[in-house]
Amino acid sequence: MAGVATTRRPRSLLKSAWDSKVLLLMCLPAVAFFVVFAYAPMPGAWIAFTNFNYRDGIFGSPFVGLRNFEFLIKSGQLWLLTRNTILYNVAFIVLGNILQIALAIMLNEIRLRYFKKISQTVMFLPYFISVVLIGVIAFNLFNYDTGAINSLIVATGGDPVKIYSTAGLWPFIIVAVQMWQSTGYGSIVYFAAIMGIDKTLFEAAAIDGASAWQRIRYVILPSLKPTFIILLLFSMGGIMHGNFGLFWNLVGNNAQLFATTDIIETAVYRMVMTQNNFTTSTAVGLYQSIFGFALVMTANWIVRRMNKDYALF
Amino acid sequence: MSSIKRRTLLKGGALAAFGIGTGVTLAACNSNNGGGTGGGGGGELDTSEAVTVTMLVLGDKPTNGRLEAMLEQLNAKLTEKVNASLELFYIEWADWQTQYNVQLLSGDSNVDLIGTATDWLFAWENAQKGAFLPMDEAMLSSYAPQTWEQVDSEGHWELCKLDDGMIYFMPEDNFTQWTNHGFFYRGDWATEAGIPDGEITEFEQFTTYFQWVKDNQPEAYPWDVAGTNEAALTGFVQGRTEYQVIQQVTAGIYFPFHTTTSDPTAVTSYYMEGDDLLAAAELAREWNDIGVWREDAVNYDGDTREQFYAGLSGADQHHMQTFLGILHRMPTDQPGSDPKFFYWGKENNNYYRDIKTHGAMAVSANSRNPERALAVYDILRNDEECYHLFNYGIEGTDYVIDAEGRRSQPEGFDPATDSLGSNFWYGRMDELEIPSATDPDNKQEMFDALDANAKDYPYERLVVDKTMIESTLAAMGAVLSEYIPQLQYGKFSDPAAAIAEMRQKLTDAGYEDARASIQADIEALEA
Amino acid sequence: MHSSETTAPGVVDVVTVVEGKKRRAKRNKQAKPRAVKLGASDYALRGISYVFVSLFAVFCLLPFVMIVSASFSAESEILRHGFGLFPRGFTMTAYEYIFKSPRQILGSYAVTVTMTVLGTAIGLFVISMTGFALYRKDFRFRNQISFFIYFTTLFSAGLAPTFIWVGSTLGLRGSYLAVFLQLLMTPWLIILMKNFMRTVPYEVIESGKVDGAGDFRIFAQLALPMMKPALATVGLFLAMGYWNEWYLSSLYLGSQVEFRPLQYHLYNIINTANALRNSVAGDNVTITNLPSNTLKMASAVVATAPVLLMYPFVQKYFVSGITVGAVKG
Repeated sequence: MAGVATTRRPRSLLKSAWDSKVLLLMCLPAVAFFVVFAYAPMPGAWIAFTNFNYRDGIFGSPFVGLRNFEFLIKSGQLWLLTRNTILYNVAFIVLGNILQIALAIMLNEIRLRYFKKISQTVMFLPYFISVVLIGVIAFNLFNYDTGAINSLIVATGGDPVKIYSTAGLWPFIIVAVQMWQSTGYGSIVYFAAIMGIDKTLFEAAAIDGASAWQRIRYVILPSLKPTFIILLLFSMGGIMHGNFGLFWNLVGNNAQLFATTDIIETAVYRMVMTQNNFTTSTAVGLYQSIFGFALVMTANWIVRRMNKDYALF
Repeated sequence: MSSIKRRTLLKGGALAAFGIGTGVTLAACNSNNGGGTGGGGGGELDTSEAVTVTMLVLGDKPTNGRLEAMLEQLNAKLTEKVNASLELFYIEWADWQTQYNVQLLSGDSNVDLIGTATDWLFAWENAQKGAFLPMDEAMLSSYAPQTWEQVDSEGHWELCKLDDGMIYFMPEDNFTQWTNHGFFYRGDWATEAGIPDGEITEFEQFTTYFQWVKDNQPEAYPWDVAGTNEAALTGFVQGRTEYQVIQQVTAGIYFPFHTTTSDPTAVTSYYMEGDDLLAAAELAREWNDIGVWREDAVNYDGDTREQFYAGLSGADQHHMQTFLGILHRMPTDQPGSDPKFFYWGKENNNYYRDIKTHGAMAVSANSRNPERALAVYDILRNDEECYHLFNYGIEGTDYVIDAEGRRSQPEGFDPATDSLGSNFWYGRMDELEIPSATDPDNKQEMFDALDANAKDYPYERLVVDKTMIESTLAAMGAVLSEYIPQLQYGKFSDPAAAIAEMRQKLTDAGYEDARASIQADIEALEA
Repeated sequence: MHSSETTAPGVVDVVTVVEGKKRRAKRNKQAKPRAVKLGASDYALRGISYVFVSLFAVFCLLPFVMIVSASFSAESEILRHGFGLFPRGFTMTAYEYIFKSPRQILGSYAVTVTMTVLGTAIGLFVISMTGFALYRKDFRFRNQISFFIYFTTLFSAGLAPTFIWVGSTLGLRGSYLAVFLQLLMTPWLIILMKNFMRTVPYEVIESGKVDGAGDFRIFAQLALPMMKPALATVGLFLAMGYWNEWYLSSLYLGSQVEFRPLQYHLYNIINTANALRNSVAGDNVTITNLPSNTLKMASAVVATAPVLLMYPFVQKYFVSGITVGAVKG
């Protein structure tokens, strides 16, 4: 059934526009929204190629070519930062989706109503805690002198660990915090998708004598696939964008950890935070966007070839 | 912006949305308002029409009603004098650096007066980028005559000019404050540590002091310090060398360019040259081994001043003005603690008076009433009655004058909730200040003692052209942010090797180009 | 496995729906699962689920317990001992500071609640309408419009140009609309909604067409009622976006509105404590004796607590769930 409509002989553009006028109208508010709030200011990104001044405005200020991008290269860290940013995002995407799907499936198994309500509510809590506070809590857990973890180690007769000077530990800590904060929230999408699965499929599986594992494998997972792919394509667009607040509040200026924790956003922040500089930040944003754009176009193209329905566009 | 104009712009926006003519709309918004190129010429102040002058200040907008009550009285006077009333526009503390610059960026005419500063509020950058109205003698002497007179008599207008000879802001040049940094420490502990009279006179003596605190005050950190503090390095270098910091140039949060007193036109950097940084780093390493600070100080985000008040820290680090507060509160919190202030450069008198543009007031390039804005500012700054009203509020409710003629808080006044919050840090005058009852009696003597040996900052007029070196500065900031915190907290096992590595990376980032460029700016200044 | 059975689960019993035997079908289906005997693997899965969900819930809860306990602790105890699971030197000082002028905080609540309710309702309507249109395979422009919307996640104008445009050109600076409108929808939520539409079997739409219903009627009367989990999910995300917002407020509202949105108000309380302490502005800044640690924690509690009360209501839609047959009759 899929694609019946689209394989029809192409009609003239105007005619098909007229035929689908109601659907077009239904899209209109959203389209207008993105025109006004996203596309209209977009030419302003030109600021990244100028030496901006208030007198001449964005389009009158002197053009300086790629000079606002130079510092990325001069700092000699472009590769390290790009690598760290991408690796963290890959870890977030892969682990995040696995945990969210697992949690959604398990929540679906819970039958006690109050247990379900309470546990689900509790899982939302981390999402509401500002990253500033997460930084404070992390310090209280991990610091060498008074941290809860080291107190515990000392109490059990061990030697305290200098967590804040051990760069190797931080990828695990950062990923764990990210999972802590986003898993409950993210699992909602999958949970809703499971809720949307037709119950007769489960019945049919049960009648066929499928085990719980087979039910997951053949009924639940396949129906989560479209959701998963959409999520994946969306996160790919942002693969060069780091979660500034999280990294900044956990690591801050602790240079001992930079080798494994520095991402594009934090490094740029340290470089230009005092310089009142909108041009460089826009330039960095463009660098990140172009990379994400290329990646998504490729991925979407592949998905499209595999199954048209799953593609974003 | 009139509603008609706004509507036209909206229409333009709709076109722009489809990719036509956005350039025109965005650019137009930035250049066509109010004063325009303005600035030139004086004349009679035209007060025929009542106007509202809006002043941009930093801080949280108070919500206790006291500001409004004060403004009501003040505006009655302003209306009478120049037919204008004053409104305040607050840039709140949340994310204030971005907010401040972004508000100027929008370039509309809803702000007339802009509080600024060359060292912490981007005055030069914003003047260069055209956010401020250029002014000349005719204009200032016509509309802000008292201010013109007072600043002119001391020759301070020179400090507010770009190379086009125009004046871009009015300096707070007649207000004495000391923001020279140093350590606060406890005289009682220093005495017990065997320091003569409990008076530390050299930076290295803190090693003795800290060691004593570590050994004898188990509850306290010798110096509980949080985050990116560079004092262990800068404090040491300042007192041992004749380096002077060029305050106009930052790389990240660091100030990487210096000169020396003996050769004030040769730009150099102790980050790059000599052994002083290494000596400082080695002392820092010794302190780290003693356990002067928390192992994880750089990630610590606590309130170290409160720790000091609570007797949990042997030292705290900030400037003289803050020390006045320490002197007021510490005797109550820690009786007999005898707090003292050791400022950097005390040993060799290598410290500075505050610059005259630590606070300043500019007129917005988009102001529709620049003349009236100047007139209002002139009154706020020079009319005693208005000055007191604006800075202290209404006598009797916001403050009272005690028997010694000092300003103190009325009965039941809670500074946490009852503050006036007019935050006028852009044109205070020594003559019009009423001394505060919380200030120590010997404040003037302390200030005089500082003043006796202090130097004037030699480059107040230096305007650095950063256009070509911005990317180098950013790259240098990246390198410094990697090495300085670890040197400061003594985390390198081999500081000498680390410094060599850092110097190489700074060189790669283009240090020499930036240095040469600033050198040229300094030479131009001398010429 | 790439057949449309997986994309549109529910195809199986579409016929019953179309034939209009909704109520009976619903009763039958709800009765059936209980009749199926559970195997060992089902019990194992259930056991694992209870254990892991409990563990994860505790993992999420513990830091929050620390926050709550710290918010009720005395500042001096926090300075000395750091945080614990139980308050030390119990006090309400931090809350007293936040609620010192109840008018302010109540005003902030009112602003945030209004924005959240209105924004979620309007946003949800627009998003689901768009999602529906984009889901329609017979809609010639679905790919173009999807791309048009998605593209904005890849490229944005950046802070400065957006601010000039929205704040000055559109004249929204100082207006709640600047915040309200910009949070109304995101590409992600629209595409998510479009994706959820797959649970509405295509035959429902076809049958609607056959019955002569217009596209909008099909959407409003046939599709929408089948979309409860999707609406609940997207609505929840929208609501959380409004509730947690402070950044746009700091740029576009600042001090210009009498009542700041809640999170911005609290964020500002925290930042004022920090900014004043290390003020570069010299003296004349009143250094007040703010309990900065406990204040931070209390503000988190104040911002979060109401959400805990609200969530169970939203959750109803997840728990009840729906199937194709369970359309409200």
